[in-house]
Amino acid sequence: MTEQKPVIEFKKVSLSFDDTEVLKNIDFEIESGKFYTLLGPSGSGKSTILKLISGQLMADNGDIIFENQRINEVPAEHRRVNTVFQNYALFPNMNVFENVAFGPRLKGLNKEEIKSKVYEMLDLVKLREFANREIDELSGGQQQRIAIARALANEPQVLLLDEPLSALDYKLRKEMQYELREIQQRLGITFIFVTHDQEEALAMSDWIFVMNDGVIQQNGTPEDIYDEPINHFVADFIGESNIVEGSMRSDYLVHFVGKDFENVDAGMRANERVEVVLRPEDLDLVPIDEGKLVVTIETQSFRGDFYEITAIDDDGNEWQVQATNSATIGERVGLFFHPEDIHIMRFNESEDDFDARLESYEDDDE
Amino acid sequence: MDSLHIIISTYFFLVIYSFNAGDVMQGWDGFSLKHYQELFADTRIIEIVLNTFVVALLSSLIASVIGTAGALYIYNQSSRTMKDIVLSLNNVLLVSPDVIIGASFLILFTVVGFSLGFMSVLLSHIAFSIPIVVLMVLPKLKEMNTSLVAAAKDLGANNWQMLSRVILPVISPGILAGFFMAFTYSLDDFAVTFFVTGNGFSTLSVEIYSRARQGISLEINALSALMFVVSLLLVLTYYFVSTRSQNKKHTTRLITSATEGV
Repeated sequence: MTEQKPVIEFKKVSLSFDDTEVLKNIDFEIESGKFYTLLGPSGSGKSTILKLISGQLMADNGDIIFENQRINEVPAEHRRVNTVFQNYALFPNMNVFENVAFGPRLKGLNKEEIKSKVYEMLDLVKLREFANREIDELSGGQQQRIAIARALANEPQVLLLDEPLSALDYKLRKEMQYELREIQQRLGITFIFVTHDQEEALAMSDWIFVMNDGVIQQNGTPEDIYDEPINHFVADFIGESNIVEGSMRSDYLVHFVGKDFENVDAGMRANERVEVVLRPEDLDLVPIDEGKLVVTIETQSFRGDFYEITAIDDDGNEWQVQATNSATIGERVGLFFHPEDIHIMRFNESEDDFDARLESYEDDDE
Repeated sequence: MDSLHIIISTYFFLVIYSFNAGDVMQGWDGFSLKHYQELFADTRIIEIVLNTFVVALLSSLIASVIGTAGALYIYNQSSRTMKDIVLSLNNVLLVSPDVIIGASFLILFTVVGFSLGFMSVLLSHIAFSIPIVVLMVLPKLKEMNTSLVAAAKDLGANNWQMLSRVILPVISPGILAGFFMAFTYSLDDFAVTFFVTGNGFSTLSVEIYSRARQGISLEINALSALMFVVSLLLVLTYYFVSTRSQNKKHTTRLITSATEGV
């Protein structure tokens, strides 16, 4: 990350409910003006982090810093962040205008200021003509936009979004992804978006935190995380993966499924046990003599823009392949991949060590 | 259904005879409004009707405030046992027979030396109305989306603003239902009032009971007929008030769709 001052910092933050540790020593920094995503399965602690930032929950230990000030004890109503809730939480007793005006009214703005603020926000979400509608007259997508407008009307430094798109259908969700991204870039404020949908995270974010079991497993740009997953969990959670166990013969030479393969990873002990990741879209089906492995086609399903094929090698490992051409079930074919398609993951490597190792041999190359 | 017919036909019987020219319910002597004239000339009964309404209105208003606060307390109580205890106490008051409540209040007022009359009746009516309000408000709180509270705080509301601008409006149908129910309970309460009234203060049910012992005058029929009209008006008012908000929404929708059509 660059040397910009962070808006939000977590320093060794932990939280338990009863005896369950929900967050374990969380450390991270959020810079202003970027789109962040907290990505993880349910129960991973991602929404908990959001609630700690908004003040709905209080941390047991650690410091939560907002613009260089510790805000652990600051009540929610005095924090300069606003939340878009999962179920929108629009006030049913107020119409659209009143919902959006809720925050500005509490701030004590005068009538004209409130009116112009509300219409500015409604314009932003393209629902100006809905100002006098009641909440129960809106569709899910429209309620979603009003929830965003209401949260932004308070001019927060940071907007928190708690799985806001999960209740929408696929097409609407796609549209809202673009729109949210556009709103974020137009306003230039920080968005922290919580989701369990990896596709959504990859499409929208500047920076992703992958969470599991109350721990940040890996953080980085969408490309980093997709191309260089740190461990089995991340590789499995982000996109489709073929993961097999193997060992490093030496730098740039890995052994798995009974063969040695050239690769581009280094910095590990000789003969160290590792996991090997190969993405389905990096695998090609070729004639047997051109392949690096020989596999038998097991199943095939058509996915519109590609065929999803499973194949079994002679050791019984299953390989997921995404191919543009169809294959014949039961046929024996070759499986081809390039050295740079092989990604190596060490067991129990911390994020810092992982980053340091990557840097060390990437520098060697240059 | 049959029992309902019997009840309703009795009522009509009562009302029809209020217009009887004779003085008894046996035999129709022709149409007359004389019992209504007697009724309006009877200043004591008019005063008692007013007393009854004043007690009903005051007790149900005060009970609505206390009952809503109680429901909020139960809803916000984080300790499960405490919640259960308060809720059980509430339900005990709700199901215990009026005679028991009346007798207990009589003992209480006598022990503390509280003189019987308007205040004792009012206090006991408030007491038995509170659980009714709690019972009507609590489900509304439970079905309220909990993130509304979080959203209000998130947007900068303090506790009072959160309560007055979000929670109370959202649960207002429950408060309204509780108020009207408490009002009718107070209006027709006999047992509790009978125990705790005194010093010449009386309500309608108690007064009718004491008069009935000397044989029912058709004046009471006239009064019942009028009370029937009043209760009907009450039901209509409740219906109107509770559907008004939706009507308002409906009208706005009609207007918006009409203007959009243009």
